[in-house]
Amino acid sequence: MSEIKLLFAGPMGAGKTTAIRAISEIEPISTEVENTDFSESDKAETTVAMDYGELTLDSGDKLRLYGSPGQKRFEFMWPLLAQGALGVVVLLDNSRPEPLADLEDFLSAFSGLIEAGRVVVAVGRLETHPQPGLDDYLASVSRRGQFLPVIGADVRRRDDVVGMLELLFEQIESTASTAAAAVAAGAAGDDEWLQFVQRARAQ
Amino acid sequence: MTQASLNLPEALRGALDTALRELHQRIPAIMGCVVATVDGRLVAHIIDNEADPQRIAAMIGSMVALGESIGRETRIDRSQYVVVNASNGLLYAQRVPSRRELFVVSTLARPTTNLGLVLHETRSAAEEIGQAVDGWLEQQQTRLAAAASTAEA
Repeated sequence: MSEIKLLFAGPMGAGKTTAIRAISEIEPISTEVENTDFSESDKAETTVAMDYGELTLDSGDKLRLYGSPGQKRFEFMWPLLAQGALGVVVLLDNSRPEPLADLEDFLSAFSGLIEAGRVVVAVGRLETHPQPGLDDYLASVSRRGQFLPVIGADVRRRDDVVGMLELLFEQIESTASTAAAAVAAGAAGDDEWLQFVQRARAQ
Repeated sequence: MTQASLNLPEALRGALDTALRELHQRIPAIMGCVVATVDGRLVAHIIDNEADPQRIAAMIGSMVALGESIGRETRIDRSQYVVVNASNGLLYAQRVPSRRELFVVSTLARPTTNLGLVLHETRSAAEEIGQAVDGWLEQQQTRLAAAASTAEA
């Protein structure tokens, strides 16, 4: 049994709090206050410190789910929350004015984890705002010389959120096994995580 | 650094600036005071050291909200204020009490100061600011009601 930390990041209104609510088995801890910044979003409330939820897998492993505040002024929270995280789900909102610029901002903020293959991107509100499409996101990612999965998702649906986590595990596993093959001995530090991911995926 | 400052009506801005200036004068060894929205946007500040007021605003927003969540989660109920007691000073932060608690106020002071004094003086300043905020909210409500009745007529 291990405890694994995952982080949901992304701009304000993308659904980080909602995603954690959709899958957490405990009543999530939230730090929502009144939103006064209607230029950013017309939501009534916004997360200003963190969200926290938990999900136990059939293997007995526990996922500790953290959500970060989205506004740029809270970027000091991002590395604090990412510390020790196995992976990051970057949630984007296609109805925002410049979702591809949001993508750039958050990929830069979490570039360390991307290099380790521990990031997936999930784009919301594609049904109502089909442009830019997933191909545009993938093109942006590859222009950065990076490779990571980009999917469409509705964070209100539990299955979609679980799907994101499965994709994240898959991504971590494939990166780790590639790395292990390249460095014949394998990266010792990743072993525990790799085992966890393999157990989680076996379910 | 992105500007996240809030534009306020003149009267409220004046009351806020006065309250902060007076707070700054009342506490010896003060290093600064900041008013921010609960969601971390800078409203007004006086800062004597190199700390970035925009960042302080965001951080006190997070800190006050986190303090309140911890109060709820640990069943010790509503957080009144949060304090960071550091080796080279202290930071005190609380919500501004008003009908809608939209603001937080924070004081930064050198370690030579007395926490009780910081607490007392900041609380008084918060009350003054709260009254100004309530006055502003009332004005807005009257204006909205007047606009609504004009629209009806």
